Formats: sequence, C-alpha cells, structure tokens
Amino acid sequence: MDAIASPSVPDVKGASGAGVRIRVRGLAKRYGALEVFRSIDLDVGDCEILSIVGPSGCGKTTLLRCIDGLIPVDEGEIWVNGTRVTQPIAGMAMVFQHFGLFPWKTVYGNVAYGLKMAGASKAEIAERVPHFIAMVGLKGFENAYPYQISGGMQQRCGLARALAVEPSVLLMDEPFAAVDAQTREILQFELLRIWEQRPTTMLFVTHSIEEAVLMGDRVIVLKGRPSSIAETIVVDLPRPRTRETLREPRFAALREHVWSTLLSEARRAEFEVGGGL
Amino acid sequence: MTESLRRHAPLLLSLAAGTALWEIAGRRASAAFLVPLSETLVRLWEIAASGQLWEQFVSSAALFLTGFALALAIGMPLGMLLARMRVLRVALEPYIMILYATPMVALIPFILSLMGFGFAPKALVVFLFAVFPVLYNTIEGARSIKPELIEVARSFRSSEWKLWCDVMVPYTLPFAMTGVRQAIGRGLVGMVAAEFFLSATGLGQLIMTAGQNFDTGGVFAAILVIGLIGVGLMRVGLMLEQRFARWRD
Repeated sequence: MDAIASPSVPDVKGASGAGVRIRVRGLAKRYGALEVFRSIDLDVGDCEILSIVGPSGCGKTTLLRCIDGLIPVDEGEIWVNGTRVTQPIAGMAMVFQHFGLFPWKTVYGNVAYGLKMAGASKAEIAERVPHFIAMVGLKGFENAYPYQISGGMQQRCGLARALAVEPSVLLMDEPFAAVDAQTREILQFELLRIWEQRPTTMLFVTHSIEEAVLMGDRVIVLKGRPSSIAETIVVDLPRPRTRETLREPRFAALREHVWSTLLSEARRAEFEVGGGL
Repeated sequence: MTESLRRHAPLLLSLAAGTALWEIAGRRASAAFLVPLSETLVRLWEIAASGQLWEQFVSSAALFLTGFALALAIGMPLGMLLARMRVLRVALEPYIMILYATPMVALIPFILSLMGFGFAPKALVVFLFAVFPVLYNTIEGARSIKPELIEVARSFRSSEWKLWCDVMVPYTLPFAMTGVRQAIGRGLVGMVAAEFFLSATGLGQLIMTAGQNFDTGGVFAAILVIGLIGVGLMRVGLMLEQRFARWRD
C-alpha cells in the first residue's frame, strides 16, 4: 500500500510553508550554567504527528514545556497557530507523563476541568464531557476517583481531558511511560484510532524508539550536550497504523535507523556519572 | 454484636479499670486532694442543676470559638499564601518557628499589660495558642503539592484565583485539618489559661472558685467537662480530616 494513497495521511507536511501549526526557530534553553538544548528549528504541519526521541536528560520534555508556554525560553521563538507563545495559549492541550489528574476530582470532574478553565458553559460541559469519556473508553467510570482506577485508565482520563477542549495541537509528554507494557501497547493503538477519527497536530515525546516510529509522520532525534536535532527521519508507513504495522519490514528498518542514530549517544549517557537532568 | 464487643473490649476494660482506680483512690485520699468519681459526678450534677455550668460553658465556648475561628481564618489562607510565595515564606518563617516553639503562656503577662482584662485579649490568647499548628501544617501541606498539578492548571490557562479554588485549597485541606486537630487541644489550653490569668470567667472560673472554696469535687467536675469537650472536638476534627482526605488513600 502506498502512503500517499491512504486517505487519512495529511497532505500538508511540516516542511511546507502553508498549514504549519507549530513553528520553532533557534530555540535555546539554559538552567544557569547548564545548557539544555540549542538552535532547535521545527515546523509541524496541520494534523501531522511529530515524534521526539532522545536519551534521558536530553531535554525533550523541557522542549515540550517550552512549546506549551509553561517554561520561558532563553533564545528563539515559538509560534503556534500564528501566535507567538510566551505563556500557555488556547488551542493547545498537554497530556502529562504522570497523568496530572486531580485526585479529589472524579473522572468526570477531571475531564470537565479543561473545559471549565476555557470558560465553557454548564450545558456545553454536560454535553461534551460524556462524549469524550466514551471516546477514550471510560464509560461507566464517570464517578470513580483516580485512586480507584488503574494507571492505564487514569491516562485515558488525562487524554479525554486534553481532547475535550478540542485542541488543534496536542502535546504528549511521554504519555505511556508510567503504565505497564501491555497497557502501553493497548493505549498506543487507542490513540491512533482516536487520531484517525479526529486528526490533530501532535507532538509526541517518548523515549521508546518503537513508539516514536509507530506514532510519527516524522521522528526527530535529539542528541548531544547541549542537545540539538541530530536527525529528522520521515516515517513513510501507511495509515491507519495498526498492529500489522509492527510486523512490516519497513517498520523494522526505520526503527533500526533511529536506533543507530541514537546508539552512540545512549552508550555515552549510560556510563556518564550523575545522569544529568 | 459479639464481634464489636471483642473489638472494643480493651477500651471498655481500660475505662472500667480507670473508673475503679479513681473511685478507690478517691475514697482513700484526703478530700483536699482527691474525691472519688461518684462524688465528682454528684457535684457535677449540682453545678449543672444550678444553671451555673451552662452559663460558664456558654461563656467559655464563645471565647474558644472566637479565638479558634480566627486561627482558622488567618492560619489557613496565610499558610497557603506563604507556600505559594517563596519570598514571603523565607522572610516570615523564622518568626513562625520561634512563636510556634514559644510556650504561649509566657506571652500572657505581656498581652495583659497591653490589652487589659476584656474579651479581646482572652480571644487573642486562644488565637495564639491555636494558630501555629494550623499555619505550620498548612504551609507544609501546600508545599508538598506536586508541581505537575500546578503545571496542569497553568497549561489549561487557569487564573491564579481559580488555581487556588481548584488546586491549592482542595489539595491542602486534609493537611490543614491535621493542624486543626492539634489546634483544638492547644486552643482549649489557651482558653483555660486566659480564664485563669486574665479575668476569671467560664469553665476556668468554675475551677478557680471551687479550688478557693476547697471544693475538690467541683474542681474535678469542671476538669472532667473540659476533658470531655476536648475529646469530642478531637473526634469531630478527625472525622473532618478523614472526610477531606478520602482521595489520599
């Protein structure tokens, strides 16, 4: 099957000028004397999924937080939907590594939170929250508290909270790193299924190479200290991506390619004392 | 039924033993030091029947509740503010630590010379006894909030006011309640101390008057009432703490 023939593949790719959702130019971030990353340039197209991989401490999570406007940058500019980002803006939503659910709120309350902050009316909330709870497969758990449900279900809730504000840009901060391996696989394909239903631009930070290739239209590899983009790999696998995708020779080849790009860095990082960020 | 009896058996046995010990010791000791429980209860009934107990109870309760309510109204918001604003916390923390560690009784003469004998200085004493555990536990609780939750709020573009309503207050309440429970005990001590050392009113006056009249039964009757109020308030505090802390499991 040809990638272009798949109807859900967005025809606007990051590199082209029109339809760019996220534009990053010359970004640098320092914590005191420690330089986290430098000269990061990125363009992410409409409904494109861009995976960001890199060894622990390479600053990929920091980069995502900068793009969300949570952390100030030291150099460079971030533009999302044509707006210069200096603080969190509407139209973006983040899914957090440790879910970031409010333990005193029910699943319903947590999913409603983003809408409430966006100033949605009671009627809007009552209409949309059940829809997104059903979309992530949490129907029947509306009144459960986070501590009463599994980690996988908690992240489904976190995903529903982000989707509920109908963002045009979704930021995923290692969203499946805190759940067990089987759950992780289930959630990956759930996310792909939801994306097919309702494509959005997505930045997907992960330390799993397999996950990066499975999700992304492109994969960028962050390397070095301070880190910068070592390589951008175009993932020419067809969509919709399913479990079949994992068995394709092309998938294996791409995974090996990303792995070899990362390898030298990973070896070095493993033996480095202290680990870093 | 038998199950609950077995569970509560140690408590019931202990209470029975304590009661018996008080009764026996009271019968053997001089009435100037100790009277038996039975006599204490008789005195308690007499004081209650005369209407004196109720009158003094209301007086004490007004004092306690005023000081205690002030301690909550100031301790909890200030604690959260100090947790949220580092500069303020670093500046004020030494004073809070010193005042928390100071036996408040030592401040009573100073308050007396400054404010006299009225209701206000007495309420201030209760407040000073009660506020520091609330303040201290609120600060510690509010500081332990996971940064990720603050980030979630910021990422969803919460205003500072909504961040307080939706995140800071619900997160901190169970911690603050731990302080509130400690503050109940200290507030009661403050109440009696104020009634002793400033102007004799309330349950404190009841103890003082009985003591001056060598009415040992009256002294113990009043102490018993204060103790029972304390135990009751602590139970309420614990229930509130658990109510707000359900999600902490």
